Amino acid sequence: MATETTDRTEAGGNLPGAVSVSDVFDDQLFVHLGLVVSVLLMSMPLVLAVIMSTQTSTEVYQVTNIGPGSAGLSNYETALSEYNLMQYMINSFVMATVIVVGKVALSLLAALALVYYRLPYERAIFMFILLTLLIPVPVRIVPLFQLMADLGWANTLLSITGPYIASATAVFLFRQHFMSIPASLVENARLDGVGPLQFLFKVLIPMSKGMIAGVSVITFIYAWNQYLWPLIVISDQSKQVIQVGIKFLQGASQSGLTQWGLIMAGAVIALLPPLVVLYALHRPLLETFALQQK
Amino acid sequence: MAEYTKPYDSKLQAGALLLPTFVVLVAFLYYPAVETFRLSFHQTLLLGTKQTFVGVANYVGLLTSEAYRTSVIISFAFAAAVVVGTLLVSLFVSYLLFEVEAWESSYLLVAIWPYALPTAVAATILTFMLHPNLGIVTHYLEALTGLSLDWFTSGPQAFLVVAIVAIWKQLGYNIIFLVAALNNVPKTLTESAQLDGVGRLTMLYRVYVPLISPTLVFLVVMNTIYAFFGTFPLVDLMTSGGPNNATNLLIFKLYRDAFAFNSLGKASAESVILFVIVSVLMYLQLRFSDSHTHYGA
Repeated sequence: MATETTDRTEAGGNLPGAVSVSDVFDDQLFVHLGLVVSVLLMSMPLVLAVIMSTQTSTEVYQVTNIGPGSAGLSNYETALSEYNLMQYMINSFVMATVIVVGKVALSLLAALALVYYRLPYERAIFMFILLTLLIPVPVRIVPLFQLMADLGWANTLLSITGPYIASATAVFLFRQHFMSIPASLVENARLDGVGPLQFLFKVLIPMSKGMIAGVSVITFIYAWNQYLWPLIVISDQSKQVIQVGIKFLQGASQSGLTQWGLIMAGAVIALLPPLVVLYALHRPLLETFALQQK
Repeated sequence: MAEYTKPYDSKLQAGALLLPTFVVLVAFLYYPAVETFRLSFHQTLLLGTKQTFVGVANYVGLLTSEAYRTSVIISFAFAAAVVVGTLLVSLFVSYLLFEVEAWESSYLLVAIWPYALPTAVAATILTFMLHPNLGIVTHYLEALTGLSLDWFTSGPQAFLVVAIVAIWKQLGYNIIFLVAALNNVPKTLTESAQLDGVGRLTMLYRVYVPLISPTLVFLVVMNTIYAFFGTFPLVDLMTSGGPNNATNLLIFKLYRDAFAFNSLGKASAESVILFVIVSVLMYLQLRFSDSHTHYGA
């Protein structure tokens, strides 16, 4: 962190070298103030959304009314039951869970092969996996859609999970992590004649818990955020995911008035799971991101 | 990287371990990508069941189309606004987080929450907060400035509003990486500058920014990819490309040409162009970084 003796804002206007206790205090006060204002600005829309999700339509239409509304949690109940958000939430949960489990499993296996097997063309194989970073869904969207139809996967869970369960990022991260595991441990396993799968389950996975948690958070948040692909490939509303569900909710109106309180409730509902996951697992997430940089 | 030994050498086993990943990557990534390229030289009828080879006609059609060229320009301007805006705000917040001497981890936790913010949720919340008639932010902004704001009808305003939402959503991710990078700067490299009594902003600009430039380049690349590929929900939920095509980003136009107008060949050509644009930008950004970044000790 900054050294206290010399820090000073330029706006302070003090003579060079003249540092007093009050200077340092004012300086930190300025930093704290900046942080509080920044965080408030970033969070304000969300706080307002939460407040307005408790208001009735009449209250919402009084623009400057930012007190807690009299609707209580009724907007949430209406959104979940009448507008089917409960169903969309379940669909999103199933989708995100399948993607997380599938991606972690497949990537662990691939990383095991890349790091612990003597492979011909190892570098080429790794590049072949990494290069897929360049082809996100929009670059292959038309043929992928046709492929789903040909496979009979359109409008099913398979279509919104299958294309996502292999990942360059996850293989990359697990590979990096495996390579940092001490050689002596690997040597022991080899001398004991431990098979590859046993090595994976008894040594690698226990030593990669943080990394697995980190990759899971990244994947969960990524999967939960999916919008374009489900919008295209899922045509049956009852099978739709929550992000697209919000779009359906936006049409909600009562006697010509858009029900913004209800829509804000839906937005808050759709945000909660990734937010909870982020905060429950922020430590491994930050550690995983730190590794991604190396 | 630490030394590691390779205890296994069965090619068959290695192949079996790699197979699931390979099947998914080939079937759902490489094959459709190649197929996009092939389709882009065809005209399709009847939902793609009837295809005629038309050479580069789709590309010629796009590049001579006024609407498409506008969309390209708008997308570039949008990406520039999102990349610059996101980095400026994130760098400001991250530097404060780096300089603060108490409660750093608590501040960090409340500053990174937008990482969990789904793009569609961000669009929904700000559509209401900035609503021309009902938005509380609009209300006070108008009262403060005396202006009459309406991004439902004004193109430039709509562009700005969508860019603000895009930036908001991307702050958490950027702050996570920038704070980590700032904390990784070796103290010995910054002590002498601090002893010279250099002001805080000068320190940031002259000392820290060069030292964390590898992270900045990484974020420029990631934010560029996001601005071109990840911003579809914003346009779809907030503006539908309007008003007057002011927010008709390439990704949205591609979606409409493919799935509303069923021009699959044309849309495939748009995919290829989008791929080329982003690849070239990434290449340039990385080339630039190779010659300009200063790697810390």
